[in-house]
Amino acid sequence: MKQHPLCTDTEREPDVMHLAVPAGLKQEWAALQTRRHFLGRTGKVLGWAAMASLLGDRALRGDTAQQGAKGRSDAQAAGLLKLPYFAPKAKRAIYLFMSGGPPQIDLLDYKPNLAALYDKDIPDSVRGGQQLTGMTAGQARFPIAPSHWAFKRYGETGTWVSDLLPNTAKIVDDLTIIKSTNTEAINHEPAIMLMNTGNMNPGKPCMGAWLAYGLGSMNDNLPTFMVLQSKLNMKEDNQPVSSRLWSSGFLSSEYAGVGLRSQGDPVLFLSDPSGVSHEVRRKMLDAVNAINRQTSEELGDPETHARIAQYEMAYRMQTSVPELTDLSKEPKSTWDLYGPDAKEPGTFAYNCLMARRMAERGVRFTQVYKRGWDVHGNVTGTLPILCQETDRACYALVTDLKQRGLLDDTLVIWAGEFGRTVYSQGGLTPENYGRDHHPRCFTTWMTGGGVRTGITFGETDEYSYNVIKDPVTVRDFNATILHCLGIDHNKLTYKFQGLDQKLTGPTPASVVQGLLA
Amino acid sequence: MIHRGGLAVFADRALPKSKSTRLAWIAALALSVALVLLPWVVKLDGKPHADWEQFLGRFHPLAVHLPIGLLVLLPILEIVGKFRPALREAAGFVLGLSFASCLFALMLGVLLAYGSGEAGAGVTLHESGGIALTIGVLLCLLARPWWSSGNVAYAYPVLLTCTLLALAWTAHQGGSLTHGSNYLTQYMPAPLKRITAFRTTPPATSFYAKRINPIFDANCVGCHGAGKIQGGLRLDSYESLMKGGQDGPAIVAGKPDKSLLLVRVTLPPSHKQFMPAEGKPPLKAEQIAWIKAWIEQGASPTAATLAGISIREDRPELPLQPVGDYSALGPEIRAMAQGQGAKLIPVSAKPEDGLVLYTVDASASFGDAQLAQLQKFAPYIVEAELARTAVTDASFDTLKQFTHLRALHLEETQVTGAGLAKLAPLSQLTYLNLSGTKVTSAAIAPLSSMKNLRHLYLYNTPAQLAPGSVPANPFAATAP
Repeated sequence: MKQHPLCTDTEREPDVMHLAVPAGLKQEWAALQTRRHFLGRTGKVLGWAAMASLLGDRALRGDTAQQGAKGRSDAQAAGLLKLPYFAPKAKRAIYLFMSGGPPQIDLLDYKPNLAALYDKDIPDSVRGGQQLTGMTAGQARFPIAPSHWAFKRYGETGTWVSDLLPNTAKIVDDLTIIKSTNTEAINHEPAIMLMNTGNMNPGKPCMGAWLAYGLGSMNDNLPTFMVLQSKLNMKEDNQPVSSRLWSSGFLSSEYAGVGLRSQGDPVLFLSDPSGVSHEVRRKMLDAVNAINRQTSEELGDPETHARIAQYEMAYRMQTSVPELTDLSKEPKSTWDLYGPDAKEPGTFAYNCLMARRMAERGVRFTQVYKRGWDVHGNVTGTLPILCQETDRACYALVTDLKQRGLLDDTLVIWAGEFGRTVYSQGGLTPENYGRDHHPRCFTTWMTGGGVRTGITFGETDEYSYNVIKDPVTVRDFNATILHCLGIDHNKLTYKFQGLDQKLTGPTPASVVQGLLA
Repeated sequence: MIHRGGLAVFADRALPKSKSTRLAWIAALALSVALVLLPWVVKLDGKPHADWEQFLGRFHPLAVHLPIGLLVLLPILEIVGKFRPALREAAGFVLGLSFASCLFALMLGVLLAYGSGEAGAGVTLHESGGIALTIGVLLCLLARPWWSSGNVAYAYPVLLTCTLLALAWTAHQGGSLTHGSNYLTQYMPAPLKRITAFRTTPPATSFYAKRINPIFDANCVGCHGAGKIQGGLRLDSYESLMKGGQDGPAIVAGKPDKSLLLVRVTLPPSHKQFMPAEGKPPLKAEQIAWIKAWIEQGASPTAATLAGISIREDRPELPLQPVGDYSALGPEIRAMAQGQGAKLIPVSAKPEDGLVLYTVDASASFGDAQLAQLQKFAPYIVEAELARTAVTDASFDTLKQFTHLRALHLEETQVTGAGLAKLAPLSQLTYLNLSGTKVTSAAIAPLSSMKNLRHLYLYNTPAQLAPGSVPANPFAATAP
């Protein structure tokens, strides 16, 4: 066996975990190893450092010499992590991400006074010299476009909801509606990165990866963090989403989100190729793993371990994914609830149903992406389609989780990356208008384990332009989500590039107490 | 005369002989009279006065701690001074200092009450206490020389004891003014409360008593109650609330816009007239909504419910009962995870939060026999996820030993509910999910005796009353 030049212990495997040095040095060693590879090749993660820090002072420390992928997942499985810091209200979360930026004024942020201001210019004092996007900065006027849709009060809470969301309206008493969410980014990519990773620049781990890293898996046969993309009905306004949004960043790539495809095989190349039996597949994997372990011993690249773990996960997913996606046993009441869309793989409704099934099967974090909310023009043409696709499914998911007793410990989040302007982008007519990106306020909602339901939090001014009460920054929003899952956002950190990195970043963030149950 | 009466002896020993001590007595008497007359001279009329008075007055809460500290030190010095005479010498000085600081704090206190326009029974009591205390200290100061010279043995100790009692009483009155009168008893353990018979009022039934009054109790009566009557407004009873204050009626039934109280609590927090004042936390949106709806619908003292306002009964969630330390079982927990695929995962980093049993990896092969093997860990398991496993009704025999179990998932198992009664001893069970099983209403009937079972899920079972409706169970409280 080729010995790594840094490893002087000839008796043992060159495995940081087994060198007789203090834990801090092991971590440092692993970090150096990674940086060497980062510079030399394309290595990028510090899995071993993660393990060193996580294993450092565990009460239930294992003593097996073999630290393969199986050993690692067992460590997690046996709950050896130092997390959660306190007994959490929610064990898992489902994040319905409305990519593109839903227009809060047309959905949940009711502004009755705007009707009288139709086509009047938005006062300069409200805009306050804010820099706009290149798409509307050149406009000569900023005419106010009141919502095309009427609002009514629903539920015991009497919450105002747009006619576009007749089903969401039925569950308002279960929701925590946040009207004061606000972001710093005005364009899609930085804004969506900020929501998901806490940083506008790509490269940081996203929330799901942090959760997978911090909380570990409840089900060894399915990934801890899964991503579902929804089909597109419309051709325009579909801002792309990419795997950067479910990346594990500098964490081991084991923690990255695993996506299910909307068409064909949910996971590509998961089935055994024709002519290859299951046993042959197993033998092949064993051989590949042996080679990988050898590579790992030679080079000490933590990413090799991640790869072994991923092969093993894929193998286990060969049986768990078909079971997950087999909807034949769903009772009729499911289809009555979710609607006929849910039978078609890849629709948002199907994905919501899938998210519920994943919640039942112990997937820690499921993110469902729905694109198309970027309604720069033709709001009255586009929005009804989007709402028709999502409204019933959101209602169905929350209702389904509730009736099955899962909402007690599942947090459901509905959010986009920013809101949309009160003034019209392009021409304003009584029939139609457009809305540009608006970072200063947008409406989101949560429900389920840990949050105080049946409330509306925060207020915007009468133009739905500025937050006037209880602002919730993206950092606070994310800190609150982590809190519901038993994590102190200041403590879930990972040393990288000389900084204790965390989801909420170095700027102080605070858990929004008013949102908590 | 050789034989003289006791009184004469006292008079001979105690009455001031020299001219200077006589003068001191006269001065003390004059000061005492002045202090007693103070409340009549500086009348607390409930109106705010000069700002400088308030400015100085606000140092009162700081200044009072000096005489408190000194006076508490005094008996210690006197007693220990028996063995270390130097300390007794110091006691005289400390006593003098106590008097000076008492007088100073008293003056600041009067300035505070007068300047800020505070009035009310609590303020008056606190003021009288402060005056009595100051006079007491003054008398101590005069009586001490007799005591230290050995002439009168009891006067000073008795006076000092009385003074200390007055101190405790006055300090408590002051504390009640700043923190509210229920500050000390609010978190008193329930048994102790019963013994001391605090808050034994009959359970409230009207919306006002249940929802509105508690808001004022928690946020307002510190300044608008029996203790202080800021702005002439008291909010501690329905009658005084409806009476209003100096600025007019606090509540106008049916007219939220005219009700000053609602107007003040909904101003922007930076507004001068915003309530609660002095940086105290604003009322919650929900509380404001209740007050508004209550006013709109007639501000009745007796109405039990309000249209449009429905409040979930806040039965407090059973607090987590700590389990023992399971750290020693670590290797066995690990071995089990590898062996049968069932996992025991800590709820949190704190061992006393217990373990969660997950069986999702082994669902098909996990049955009653596997569950029975977990008996060793039984007292540490607070949540058991047995959904979609092969367990049957026989599992209840094992599960009844999970003494700390809070949540039990049996969704889509073969459980029929026969023997559910065996779970009755699980006093901490708050969540039971039987969705997708064959349980019937008859089978779940015994569960009604389980007082802490708040979340019972029966979706897709014969026991579910109306398919599709959410609170379809006899307990109706399935909301999270």
